[in-house]
Formats: sequence, C-alpha cells, structure tokens
Amino acid sequence: MNTSDSEEDSYNERSALVQSESPTIPSYNQDHDMSLPQETDSKRRRPVSSGLDEPGPVERERASTPDGEEEELTLKYGAKHVIMLFIPVTLCMVVVVATIKSVSFYTEKSSQRLIYTPFEEDPNSVGQRLLNSFLNTIVMISVIVVMTIILVVLYKYRCYKFIHGWLILSSLMLLFWFSFMYLGEVFKTYNVAMDYPTLVMIIWNFGVVGMICIHWKGPLRLQQAYLIVISALMALIFIKYLPEWSAWVILGAISIYDLIAVLCPKGPLRMLVETAQERNEPIFPALIYSSAMVWMVGMADSSNPGSADERQRNEGRARAQEGVESEDDAAQGGRRRYSAEEDLEEDRGVKLGLGDFIFYSVLVGKAAATGGDWNTTLACFVAILIGLCLTLLLLAIFKKALPALPISITFGLVFYFSTDNLVRPFMDSLAAHQYYI
Amino acid sequence: MNLERIPNEEKLSLCRRYYLGGFAFLPFLWLVNVLWFFREAFLKPTYTEQLQIKSYVKKSALGLIVWVAVLTTWITIFQHFRAQWGEVGDYLSFTIPLGTA
Repeated sequence: MNTSDSEEDSYNERSALVQSESPTIPSYNQDHDMSLPQETDSKRRRPVSSGLDEPGPVERERASTPDGEEEELTLKYGAKHVIMLFIPVTLCMVVVVATIKSVSFYTEKSSQRLIYTPFEEDPNSVGQRLLNSFLNTIVMISVIVVMTIILVVLYKYRCYKFIHGWLILSSLMLLFWFSFMYLGEVFKTYNVAMDYPTLVMIIWNFGVVGMICIHWKGPLRLQQAYLIVISALMALIFIKYLPEWSAWVILGAISIYDLIAVLCPKGPLRMLVETAQERNEPIFPALIYSSAMVWMVGMADSSNPGSADERQRNEGRARAQEGVESEDDAAQGGRRRYSAEEDLEEDRGVKLGLGDFIFYSVLVGKAAATGGDWNTTLACFVAILIGLCLTLLLLAIFKKALPALPISITFGLVFYFSTDNLVRPFMDSLAAHQYYI
Repeated sequence: MNLERIPNEEKLSLCRRYYLGGFAFLPFLWLVNVLWFFREAFLKPTYTEQLQIKSYVKKSALGLIVWVAVLTTWITIFQHFRAQWGEVGDYLSFTIPLGTA
C-alpha cells in the first residue's frame, strides 16, 4: 500500500517536543513595588525532526528580571513532568508491541513498499542490501527535508488554510482507513465474525469523535488517548512497510536530521521556531501531545468564544506573554504573582510532538518484531525512557528548542544491537546450562 | 480542554453541540457527552445554565441506552444466525471465522 504524501507529512510534522511553561514561581520579595516578570520557565518546543515538523515551536525567552533582583535558577521540569510524558510514551509502545506480538499481519513481509523506499532489499548479498538501505534512507530523508521546507514556506507565507486542510486530511486517513485495516486484522487474528453494519458504526464513531477531539474541543484525556492511538497506528504502518535494514538506518538518519534541523541556525525547524515566535503563535495542536491543559489564569483573552482554536489561542497568548517585551513581562509577572497568591496557577505540563511518539514506537516495535525475545524489547524500552528523561533535563537546563529524537534513538539503537548480539546469546547459554545469576 | 476554565454559556453550547452531533449515528459522542458533563450537570452547585445542561445530559444518556439496546440486539442476532443465513450471512460479514460452520 502506498501511503499518501499527506501521511508522511503529518507524521513528520508531529515530531516536536514542546515545553509548556510552568507557572512562574513567585518571588519572595513581595515588598518590592515593581512587579517581577517572572517567567522562569520558557517554553520550549522542540521540533523533532522526523520529518515534518510542526510549525513553529515557540521559544520563549526568559523574562528579564529587573535590576537588582536575583534570578531564581530553578528547574522547571521535575519528576512530575517526566512521569507525565512517560505514561503516554509507554502506552503507545505497549499498544504497538502488543499488536506486533499478537497480530501477525504487521510482521508479514509484503511485496508492496512505500514509494519512499523504492530500493528493494536483496537478502542474498550483504553489500547490496546495505547499499539499498542507504539509498532508501537518502530518498526518505530528502522527502522529509522537502516536506519540511514546504511547510516552512507555507507557514511563512501564512497559508494556514492549506496547512489545516493538510492536517485534517491526514488525520482523516489515520482515523478511518488505518483503523479500519487494524480492526480487520485484529478480528482475523482472533477469528471473530464481524458484520459490515456494526463495523461501519464502530469506525464511524471512532473516526468522527476522534476528529472532534483532536481538531476541535473535547475532553483532555480523550484527546490524549486519540493522539496515542493514532501515533501507534502510524508506527505500525511504518513497521510493516519499511524494509528491515532500511528502517534502522532511517531511524538513525532521522535523529541526525532532527539534531541538525533544530539546532543549526539555518535549519528549517529553527526557522519555523523563530517565525512562530515573531508571530507569537502556537503550534497546531493536532500534532502535539500536551500532558496538561495550558491555561493562564486571569487572561483577558480567555473570553474569546466561538473560536475553534480557542485553546490554541489561549496557549498562544500565554506563551506570547512570556515574550521579551518588558511591559508584557511586567504585566505577566504581575498577573502571575497575583494568581500565585490566589493559588490558582495550574501546572502547564510538557508537550511532545507526535512524531517522537511514532519513532519511539517504531524502534520498540521493530525490536519486538525482529529482536527475538523480550530482553531486547525491554532493553529498547528502557533506553528510550532514559533518553527521554535526559532530553527533558536538557530542556529544563537550556530552555531552548531541542530535538527529542537523537538521544533516545541513539540509546535505543545501541541497546538494541548490543542486546541482540551480546546479551541474548549470553542469556541463552546461561539458561541452557541452568546457571542462574 | 478543561471544563473548569470556560464560562457557563460556553459549557452549555458545547454540551448542546455534542448532543446534536450524536444524532448523526454517533452514540459514542453521546457517551462522551454524558461522561464529560456528568459532574457539571449533577455534582456542581447550581448555576443558571445547569438546568439545560442537565436536560442535554439526560437526553444523551437516553439516546445512548437506545443505541446500545439496538446494537446489542443486532449483534446477538447476527452472531447467532450468521451461519444459518448462508449467502446473506456471508454478504454481511466483514470477517468470516475459519474452521467453523
């Protein structure tokens, strides 16, 4: 099955790690007259460069503190935020691994390939296979780069309608077509009879409520659940349709691309960040998983009804208020201090792009599909979580847009290959000799 | 989206839209409506719009129960009689279990 370009894009766009801001910590010097612009947090978004990145991670700079005030250097992201991201990433991986292990469809090699990986991997010759997988990777990465650049251009020239239409089309495809395929395979695996009317009802309900929750308004938990499900579906498609060796090389290459695109001054993702920052706009919420509601207490704009992007605007304004302008900072600081006093602040939580979910799950899913036993799968899982932890730590320290893929994927790849080739034979021979350690 | 932070008129409008949307063969939407607005409708201290929200939640729950009954009946009938229906059964089936009649 050839996936459409929009699919590719949408998954690409989804990779971003965004930091939401946590409420500023009120200064203890309450006797000062001037309000302290207390944004100790800055939001960082990290576009993951897996492809498409999502428009505009917004960067927030640290509010400047007034002269004579000591800046509190606090880490915005503590254990709570890490856990808030662990749970969805774990859930996504669990869904993918459970499906891989039970439904054989996703591990069967099909003769169809994605148009992005045109070179066939010949199992007979190692050199040829390696070469073809590198060529596949080059094709895939160039597609991703082109899509990213198109996205940046569209964003720069404010073609929002086009981007929105693109996103809606890709979510439609994910929510209806891929879930239809998935359900079909699950029913076949468990040998359950299913009739068309019931199936149509199920898919229709699932899809429409999903579109409503993701693109419009819905309960936060349900939206998070849907985002996890569509990331898992996308990851399963990748696991099925990417050739063996190409998949590993692509994972590595995407991490490198992510690093370059986000951190280099001329990288497309960085340009997106800057553009979004100039305009004080949020990233499309359909591509970002947010672990908590972003809300600014006392925001004057929250009474903006009827807007489909109300929440996004709220977020955008919240972030906007953390801009560099001093009056905003002052107002912000004043408001925040006020809200802090009234104890109404809400923790913003952290945001992670959906592309990150997808690629983490692809790595763990491939480890489960081809790795042999559970040791490998668990090792990759742990590696990714460690990587995520470190990435969040760096995010809290640097307060800048950072890519979420490289560290986790690197650890994951290292753990996969070393576990598969070193630990597994070791454990096997220990078990064979009944020697317990 | 956090219900705590939006004004009451918007809650009402949201509840009403979810209720109306459910008529498009979307009992799941009604379920979401009931679960999401349950606290708002029944467990919160009274406010102006609460009465209408309560009525929407109740109507959604009613619609949901009707749909569940219809679907359960249909599924039971189908699963029981599928084999006997022969060609019609196969025509209606999306997946046919292997190894049984």
